[in-house]
Amino acid sequence: MRLASRLGGAALSLVMVAVLGFFLFRVVPGDPVVSMTRGRPTTAAMQAELRAQFGLDRPLHEQFWGYFTSLLRGDLGTSFTFRRPVSDVILERLGPTLLLVGTSTVIAVGLGLWLGVLAAWRRDSAFDRTTTGVSLTLWAVPTFWLGMLLMMVTGDLFPSRGMRDTDTAPDFLSQALDVGHHLVLPSLTLVAVVCAEYLLVMRSSLLEEMHAPYLTTARAKGLRDDLVRRRHAVPNAVLPAITLVFLRFGLVVAGAITTETVFSWPGLGLLFYDALTGPDYFLLQGLLVVTAGAVVVMNLLAELLYGVLDPRVKVV
Amino acid sequence: MLELRNLSVHYGHKRVVDDVNLTLAPGQTLGLAGESGSGKSTVAMSVLRLLPRTARVEGEILLDGEDVATMSWGRLRAVRWAGASIVFQGAMHSLNPVQRVGDQIAEPMRLHGTRGSVRELLHRVELPPEKARAYPHELSGGQKQRVMIAMALACGPRLVIADEPTTALDVVVQAQVLAVLKRLVAEQDLGLMMISHDLSVLAETCDELAVMHRGELVERGRTREVIANPRHPHTAALTAAFPVIGDPAHRWAEPGRTAEPLLEVRDLTVDYGRTRAVDAVDLTVGRGEIVALVGQSGSGKTTLARTIMGLRKPSSGRVIFDGAEVPRSGKALKAFRRQVQLVLQDPASALNPRHTVRAAVAEGLRVHDVPGDEQSQVTAAVEHAELRPASLYLDSLPHELSGGQQQRVVIAGALVLQPRLLVADEPVASLDASVRGEIVALLLRLRRELGLASLIITHDLGLAWQIADRVAVMHQGKIVEQGSVEQVLLNPSHDYTRALLRAVPQV
Amino acid sequence: MSRFNRSGVAGAAILAVAALVAVIAPLVISADELDVTRVTAAPWQSPGAEFWLGTDHTGRSVALLVAQGAGTSLFVGLTAAVLAVGIGTLVGIVSGHFGGLVAGALLRVTDFFLVLPALVLAIALSTVLPRGLGTIVLAIGLTSWPSTARMVRAQTLTIEARPFVERARALGGGHVHVIGRHVLPSVVPLVLVNATLAVATAIVAESTLAFLGLGDPTRISWGAMLHQAQLHGAVPQRAWWFLLPPGVAIVVVVLAFTLVGRALEAVVTPKR
Repeated sequence: MRLASRLGGAALSLVMVAVLGFFLFRVVPGDPVVSMTRGRPTTAAMQAELRAQFGLDRPLHEQFWGYFTSLLRGDLGTSFTFRRPVSDVILERLGPTLLLVGTSTVIAVGLGLWLGVLAAWRRDSAFDRTTTGVSLTLWAVPTFWLGMLLMMVTGDLFPSRGMRDTDTAPDFLSQALDVGHHLVLPSLTLVAVVCAEYLLVMRSSLLEEMHAPYLTTARAKGLRDDLVRRRHAVPNAVLPAITLVFLRFGLVVAGAITTETVFSWPGLGLLFYDALTGPDYFLLQGLLVVTAGAVVVMNLLAELLYGVLDPRVKVV
Repeated sequence: MLELRNLSVHYGHKRVVDDVNLTLAPGQTLGLAGESGSGKSTVAMSVLRLLPRTARVEGEILLDGEDVATMSWGRLRAVRWAGASIVFQGAMHSLNPVQRVGDQIAEPMRLHGTRGSVRELLHRVELPPEKARAYPHELSGGQKQRVMIAMALACGPRLVIADEPTTALDVVVQAQVLAVLKRLVAEQDLGLMMISHDLSVLAETCDELAVMHRGELVERGRTREVIANPRHPHTAALTAAFPVIGDPAHRWAEPGRTAEPLLEVRDLTVDYGRTRAVDAVDLTVGRGEIVALVGQSGSGKTTLARTIMGLRKPSSGRVIFDGAEVPRSGKALKAFRRQVQLVLQDPASALNPRHTVRAAVAEGLRVHDVPGDEQSQVTAAVEHAELRPASLYLDSLPHELSGGQQQRVVIAGALVLQPRLLVADEPVASLDASVRGEIVALLLRLRRELGLASLIITHDLGLAWQIADRVAVMHQGKIVEQGSVEQVLLNPSHDYTRALLRAVPQV
Repeated sequence: MSRFNRSGVAGAAILAVAALVAVIAPLVISADELDVTRVTAAPWQSPGAEFWLGTDHTGRSVALLVAQGAGTSLFVGLTAAVLAVGIGTLVGIVSGHFGGLVAGALLRVTDFFLVLPALVLAIALSTVLPRGLGTIVLAIGLTSWPSTARMVRAQTLTIEARPFVERARALGGGHVHVIGRHVLPSVVPLVLVNATLAVATAIVAESTLAFLGLGDPTRISWGAMLHQAQLHGAVPQRAWWFLLPPGVAIVVVVLAFTLVGRALEAVVTPKR
C-alpha cells in the first residue's frame, strides 16, 4: 500500500517535472525563436520555418500534448545548435557525468559520514573544531572557484581540460589511466564541496542522538564507549543522515555543472553550459527534464532504501 | 550489598544530592521516593557511575564492599549489569529503536559471558518467545517495560535498580508489571532499589521506604510505618497526595446536593476514521457539580472532553448546555466557549512560554473583546486562583513559576471569563505530590464560592474519591458505569470498574 | 556556546565592514576607473605599489573592482533571501496551520521543489528571462524557498500540537488569533536564522550564475569578475591576483553569514 503510494508520488513528481519543463520555456516574455537566433543573420521566413519546425506556431495545448506524448516516447525534441535529437546528444554525454558524479559521490559519502561520526563523538575536541571549521569554510566556497584554484595551484601536475588526450595509446589500460589522470582535479573539487556538507549533516545527526536514553542503557550494560557508538548511536544517527544525503543529491548535480564547465569535462554539465550560452531552449528543456527526473528517481530509491534499513518504516 | 556513605553530587555549584547514607542488604527491597528534582534518580545513576561528566561525586558508593567511584574502567564495566543492573523507564526510548529486543537482551549476556537464553528470560517476564524478534515500536508500553526487566535480569545481578519503572503506564498494566517485578525479586532473592514519585507504587512493592527532598534523605523506615506515621512534613504531604479510596479523611468534597443539569451529553458518538473513539455516550453535569470521568488512556475520555468543548465534531448525538444545544461553529460556538473553560494536564505546556502571566490570563478577555478594565479583571482572576498578591506574578514568564503556580495561572485564565463549567483534563497528573492537594482544594473552593461546576477527566481513581460528587467510568468509548462516588467506587457493579479498583496499588 | 558567540560576533564584524565597503565604494570610485574604454593602465599587472591587487585583463584595478562588487553581491543575497524566506514562511504557515486539500497540495509542491536542484532551476529561469539584477533575484528567490517552507511548517505543526494552542482555541480564539499570537512569534526567530543562512546560499548562487555568464552584464559583481577571469585565461596565465580576491571575498562574506546564522541558531533553539 505504502509502496504504491510512494510510486504514485514519484510518478506524479515526474509529470510535474514534465509540466515544469514545458511551461518554463513557454511563458517567457518574448519569442523563443527570436532570442535563440539573436546575433545571427536570419530572415523572417527562416524564423517562421523554425517556428513551424518546433511546433511553436500551434496553440499552446496542442504544443503541450505533442510535447508530452513525445516525452513519453523518449523524444525530447531537436537541439537547435546540434541539429540532432536532444535525447541523442544527452545520451552521448551521460557516461562522463556518471563517472565523475559517481566517483565523487562514493568518496564524499564515505569520507563525509566517517569524519562526521568522529567529529560528533569527540565534540569540541581539536579534531571536531578543525573539521567543522574546514567544512563550514568549504561550504562557503563556490565550487567553480575551488576548481580554478586547484587548477592554478597544481599547475601542470594534472591535466585540466577534457577527459582524455588525443595521443594516448588505444589499449584499455592506457586509456583508463589517462581518464583517471584527467578525473583527479574535477572529482577532487566536487568531493571537497559535497563532503563538507555530508560531514556537517552526519555530525549534527549523531549529536542529536548523543543524549538518547538508550545510550545510557548501553553504557549501563557495561559496553565500551566505542561499542556504544558503533552498535547503538551510529546505526540510529546514520538513517536520517542517509535521507539527507540523498535529498541533497541535487547539490551534486549543481556542483557537476560548474565543475564540468571549469574543467571542460565533456558531460551533461558542460552540455548545460553550452545550452545556456546558445541559448538552445530545446536542449536546455531536455536537460532540465532529464536531471530533474533523475533526482526524483534517486529520491524514490532513497525512500525505498530507507524503508529497508529502518525497521520503523514499513514500505511494503 | 549496597552502601552509600556521605554521598553528595554537585553540578557546578548546584548540590543535587546532599550527604545521603543508605544501605541495602541482599533480598531487601527499598523504595526511594521523592518529587522531581529531589535527587532520587541521581542517586540511582551514581551507583553504576552513569552520571554525566559534569557531575562531581563525593563520598563512597560501596557495591559488595568495593567503591564504585575509584574502580578502574575495566572493573567498572565488568560490574555494570553483572553486579547491578537498572530497569529504566522502558516507554521512554531506553531501548534502541532500530535493534530487535531479543538482540538487546542478549547483548549483555554475550558481553559478560553469561549463559542463558533470551527465550527463558522472556518467559520469566511472561512474554511469548516470538517477541524477541520484535522492534521496540512494535511493542506496547507494558511489553517494553517487561523487556527492560528481562534485560536487567539477563546477567543474573544481585542488585536491581528500577528507575520509575511504571510511570508512563496505565493502572492495569502498571499492576501487571509490578506483579512480575515482585515475583522475580522474591524468586531470585534479589536486592531491589525502586525509585518513584508515586508512594503507592513503592508501598505495593517495597519493605522499606526512604524519602528524599531537595537532595537530602529526610526519612527512612519500614514502609507501613512511614506511611502511617510520617515524621517529616514532606513525607506527610506525599502521603496525602495519594488518597486511599474509601477513607473518609481523604474525601474532601462536601456532601452532594441534587442539582438541575447544566451540561447534558446525549447519545454522543465520535469516530476517527474507522475507529469509534466515543460510542453513544450519555453524561450529565449538574450546576455546581463535580463529575469525574475516569478511564485508562485510549478509553476515549479525552476525545469526549474535546467534543464537548466543540474542538472536535461529533459523528452523531447532541451536547446540550444550559438547555440549549451547543452550536458547532460560528459566533454562537465562540459565545459558548466563554461559559465552558478548559484546564489541561501539563501547565508548563498549556502556557505559551513567551507570554507573561498577564498576557496568558488576559488572552480570553482579548479573544472575546470583553468590555471593562482588563487590569482589574485579570487581577481578580489571578487572586481567585490564590496567587496573592497578583502584582507579584503578573509580569512573570511561565518558566519563572513552579508547576503549581503555573496551573493556578491556567485556572486564572479560565476564571477571568467567569465560566460556569470547567473541563479539566488530568488537572493534577503532572504536578508534584505536595502541590497536588493545593490544586484539588482550589477547585473545591471555586465550586463553593463561585458555584463553578467541573468535569474532571482522570485515570486516577484516588482523585475521583477526593473531589468528585459523581463518577462515570469509561471503557473502550462507552460509559460502563456512572453514579455517586460512594456507589461506584465502593460498590462497583461493572467488571471493568472492579478491575480498575483492583489495580490501584494498596498502601 | 561561547565559542559560537565569539565566531558569531566575528561574523557580524566582517559583515559590518562588507556593508560599509558596499555603501562607500560607489561614492568614492569614479566611473572612469571602472570603465573598460577609459582606463589607461596596462592589463594583467601583478600587485604593486600603484595597484595593490594588480589589474585585470583590461587594466582596471582589481581592488576597486572587488570593492565595487560588494554592493551587487550583498544586494542580490539579501533581496533573494528575503524573497525566498518570505515565500517559504507563507507557504509553511499556511500548509502547517490549515489542514485539507490546499495544505496537502502545498506540501506536495514544497517537497517537489525541495528535491529538485535549485541551481538548475535558477539557471533555466535566468536563461529564459531578460538579463538583469531583477532576474537574478527572482531566479534565486523563486527556487530556494522550499527549505524554509519545510522548516516553518514543521515548527508550525510543533507549536499547534502544544496544549497552549488548544487552550487558545478552547478560549474561542480563531485562525487569526492562533497564528498571530502563538504561531508567528515562535516562528520568527527560526525564520531569522534561516534568512541569515539563506543570504549565504544566495550569494554563492549569485556568483555561480554570474560565473556562468547569466549575470547582469552592466554590473560588476564578484561572480562576474571570476567569469571574466575564466573567459580571459587568468588560470593559464597564473594571474592569481585576479582570481583570489573576488573568491576570497565571497568565501569570507558567506562564511560570516553562516557564522552569524549558527550563532543565532544556538541562541534561538532551546538547549536540552
